[in-house]
Amino acid sequence: MNAASVLKSENLDVGYKTAILSQVNLDIKAGQFISILGPNGAGKTTLLRTLSRHIAALAGLVQVEGGPLSDYPALSLAKIMAVVLTEKAAPPLLSVWEYAALGRYPHSGFLGKLTGHDFEVVASALTSVKADDLAGRMVDQLSDGEMQKVVLARALAQEPKIMLLDEPTAHLDLKHRVEVMSILRGLCRDQGLTVLAALHDVDVAAKVSDQVILVKEGRVSAFGRPEEVLTSEMVAELYDFNEAGFSRHLGGIEIQGDGRSGRAFVIAGQGRGALVYRLLAKKGFFITTLFPGQGDLDHYVAQALGARILGESTGLAESSALIAEALADCLFLIISGTNPAKREWEAAIIRQALAKGLKVLALSEAQNGAVPDGVRLCPDLPGLTGMLDEYMERGRGTDKNREANHD
Amino acid sequence: MEALTLSQAIVVRSFKRRRLAFAALGLLTLSLMVMNLGIGSISYSPREICSTLLNPGGTGDLDFIIWKIRLPRVLAAALGGAYLAASGLLLQVYFRNPIVGPFILGISSGATVAVSVVMLTATGMQMAFAIPFLTTFAGCLGAYGVMLLVVAIAAKVKNGATLLIVGLMMGYICSAITSILTALAEKGKIKGFVLWEMGSFSGFKWVEIWIMIVFGGALFLGVYLLSKPLNAFLLGEDYAASMGVNVRRFRVFILLAASSLAGLVTSMAGPVAFIGLATPHMARLSFGAADNRILLPGAALMGAMVTSLCDLIARMWLSPVELPLSAITAIFGAPVVIWLLLKRRGVRI
Repeated sequence: MNAASVLKSENLDVGYKTAILSQVNLDIKAGQFISILGPNGAGKTTLLRTLSRHIAALAGLVQVEGGPLSDYPALSLAKIMAVVLTEKAAPPLLSVWEYAALGRYPHSGFLGKLTGHDFEVVASALTSVKADDLAGRMVDQLSDGEMQKVVLARALAQEPKIMLLDEPTAHLDLKHRVEVMSILRGLCRDQGLTVLAALHDVDVAAKVSDQVILVKEGRVSAFGRPEEVLTSEMVAELYDFNEAGFSRHLGGIEIQGDGRSGRAFVIAGQGRGALVYRLLAKKGFFITTLFPGQGDLDHYVAQALGARILGESTGLAESSALIAEALADCLFLIISGTNPAKREWEAAIIRQALAKGLKVLALSEAQNGAVPDGVRLCPDLPGLTGMLDEYMERGRGTDKNREANHD
Repeated sequence: MEALTLSQAIVVRSFKRRRLAFAALGLLTLSLMVMNLGIGSISYSPREICSTLLNPGGTGDLDFIIWKIRLPRVLAAALGGAYLAASGLLLQVYFRNPIVGPFILGISSGATVAVSVVMLTATGMQMAFAIPFLTTFAGCLGAYGVMLLVVAIAAKVKNGATLLIVGLMMGYICSAITSILTALAEKGKIKGFVLWEMGSFSGFKWVEIWIMIVFGGALFLGVYLLSKPLNAFLLGEDYAASMGVNVRRFRVFILLAASSLAGLVTSMAGPVAFIGLATPHMARLSFGAADNRILLPGAALMGAMVTSLCDLIARMWLSPVELPLSAITAIFGAPVVIWLLLKRRGVRI
């Protein structure tokens, strides 16, 4: 990492009158994609607006390409830095081409007359955001996704070295979210553009950023590579998660069940349990599971869903007391996969569950050998869903009967 | 290379259309001005008008009517319309709201109050010789004063519709002050003031025409030279600032220019309704442009054309009775506001 630092802040305090974020120390190298993450109101936008000089710093110093930000004449700064704000003005009767060409402002002469070179820059800006075909359209007739690409093209027409973006993917559909992100990623890689973006999606940020800045409660709580910074604990703390979990390996958020349907035991492994876990969480179950195997997809999903994982520590031997205790508060046992290292545990759990009179469901694909008596086979996941619904319905019915008897 | 030719093709296509629109509008304005010179209680042919204009200093009835009465009025209407349109365009860009104009924001009313102070109280009397300058100055000052109030309130409420109500209230307050001043004024002064207040381009003196040409022309030129930052303002202040516009300085200039142009016209012709609001839109649609380098001259030309037309209607419709100009412009302009509200044309209001 010998690249020159293009944007640097020292002991920066940002805010309107009172500091929202204080003691911000950043050092951003050329060509990097940096995401700013944090809950709403944490000061992401305020930080960006201070770095773009829309508001003055309350204290501290910002350096752009080695010079103090405050020393730059407006036009010189505009040649280095472009912004994409959440506010999208789409004046009527303005064509996409004219809109993008407004970005030539700091380069064009008096009255804004464009030269052949300006034409080339605008055209290539539209090309880099894959918006050539939009050039003749009117900006007030574009979809949100198309408009956002055009907004990026205008910023690019400034030929900046740094681009500051506030929520560049807000309100966009999935296709355009992915498109905007890959465009920005490509600009960093191919043109050495430095991108600093406030983002909402922690999973997207984890996948595109070279570095992430986490802001919360008035300070930068972490600044570093997403692989190191975005641990499940950090993310949970950043957003005050109680009902969701972030998995670094999965690169995404898992939404946990709230337990209102009870608890289910799952035997998983070899990636066959992930969808079953999610299905149960969606239906409102807490999950207990047998350790699906080291590095197994199921293990990561179970962790992110906050499941109780039995037999995770290798030293522990199979014990019927432990299994009995784990099964005690479970309503079902679902066999969705297998962990070859835990075959004895699995057999013992199935045996105990059947003995206890628990419902035992098995996905056909999970079954390698004969089906023990009392295990109900489901052909596939939809089949399992149907059975779960059926049991839950019956459970509710029983409750009602009980209530009726009380009266 | 293909992308380049495509974008150039787009630019060339709109360029041709805009040139055509300029030529058509210019021709229309010119013929309306000639009609205004020719038609009246005594009508003259275009040939008579041309020869009179080419040979100034004649002493006949024709020379007197053309040079002393009709030409000042024709020029005043065209220039006044042009400046009101430019003022309206500036305000629409500044507030990023299509339904604003000098009249609707109460800026014309501000000028009216200031002018009424000069015309109705003793202040003006001792300096009769300075009246055109004094009323002009007072008009600009009054317009700017109200403008600053409106801007201060607009900064607190970002809602476009609220801005209209604020402007409306400003108008009420100003007309209240004006009517109090009228009640207190000497009878002799009231008649002239009431006539002025209805809005009219009649009775312009040449010195006033020259003030309009020189002072207004300089303002208009200044505004035109700043159409590049004005274009950046289309995207809003924050984007303009990020592209290198000195927003604070530019904001002061836009507001000062818009209120001076409106104040200048109002101080001489009285409050003329809706020209400043409606004609920029007509220009936008005719030129198919949002670019202020096109729109500033375009809206000015459109303002000149529409005002000349309205003046012609005011003079000729129920001739020999002359109708108040503001009545004609309101009948013509108010529906435009309603149409804009209904259509919204992709603009938040």
